[in-house]
Amino acid sequence: MYTEQLGVGEANTILQGVILLIEMGSIPIALVIFLFSVIVPLGKIMAMFYLVLTVRSHSPLTPHQRSVLYRVTEFVGKWSMVDVFVVAILVALVQLAGLLVVRPGVAALSFAGVVILTMIATQSFDSRLIWDNTKEAERGRD
Amino acid sequence: MSGEIACHDCDLLVTLGVLQDGDSASCPRCGGFLTQYRSNAYSRVLAFAISALILLLLANSFSFLSFAAGGAESQITLRETPTALWNQGMPFVGLLVGAFIIAIPAVVLLMLVTLSTALHIGYNHRWLPRLAKWLVHLQHWSMAEVFIIGVIVALVKLSSMATVVVGISFWAYAGFTICFLLAVTSLDKYQCWERVDQVAGK
Repeated sequence: MYTEQLGVGEANTILQGVILLIEMGSIPIALVIFLFSVIVPLGKIMAMFYLVLTVRSHSPLTPHQRSVLYRVTEFVGKWSMVDVFVVAILVALVQLAGLLVVRPGVAALSFAGVVILTMIATQSFDSRLIWDNTKEAERGRD
Repeated sequence: MSGEIACHDCDLLVTLGVLQDGDSASCPRCGGFLTQYRSNAYSRVLAFAISALILLLLANSFSFLSFAAGGAESQITLRETPTALWNQGMPFVGLLVGAFIIAIPAVVLLMLVTLSTALHIGYNHRWLPRLAKWLVHLQHWSMAEVFIIGVIVALVKLSSMATVVVGISFWAYAGFTICFLLAVTSLDKYQCWERVDQVAGK
């Protein structure tokens, strides 16, 4: 988002927001934002790649562990929207013309896009596929 | 309630024992949640859903947040959060935010009220299965609780530079979020589908 304080503009990325929060002393909130806006989206994408790849190929994780990974990924999905909502509120609220004005940045749109696309990706994945290989192996043994 | 369920996560066919009121069942192989039986499910859903709708209406009627710095003041209602994005050149994000925090939860609640009333009184309509299916789909896309956390984070960010006052709408929306979550979790999918079958006379 872009902030304009007394006419001086400044662009803020998500990471800059995190650093600002740390400087303000709000370490827990800074951690929440860093977790949900940086770690979680990256983690979700990597987790989904991993889950899809290991449907067919060997994995060090058991099917049960992969099921848990899937469920966590699914649950955590919508929480990354928190940063978009923060920008939305700040944009709506901080409109003191001349003193302090906030405008939305491009990343708000792309970030919303990330959340929506990863949510759709997670929902499109059929978690039963994780277990199909085990059934075939069992049948093969009989 | 008893019967057979195919686990949604791993496709194992599980024979349910007899479930008493409040009992829940999980898949023995993958631990996935199967079902939870509640004898008063529909009245619970109706109570929470109607409360949530009233609170959502209240949340839209009063001041949500106000912000004062250097003698100037700014106040917003809940509705102004998505519309401000629209006006500031991000119409698509504004639409999404408006959908996730107001529109979709409202639609989900109306669907819950309709569905639970119909199932409670045993009214058979050919739209019931479709309604139930869409309800399950849309549930995932309502982000009321994420929004409340977002408001808290925004408050923390602003608190250092100005006085922020939280209005009635905020508390109404917080109450709405709680009632919404309770309404949605009170409707068990398996129980619901069994009842849809029962009502349709199968």
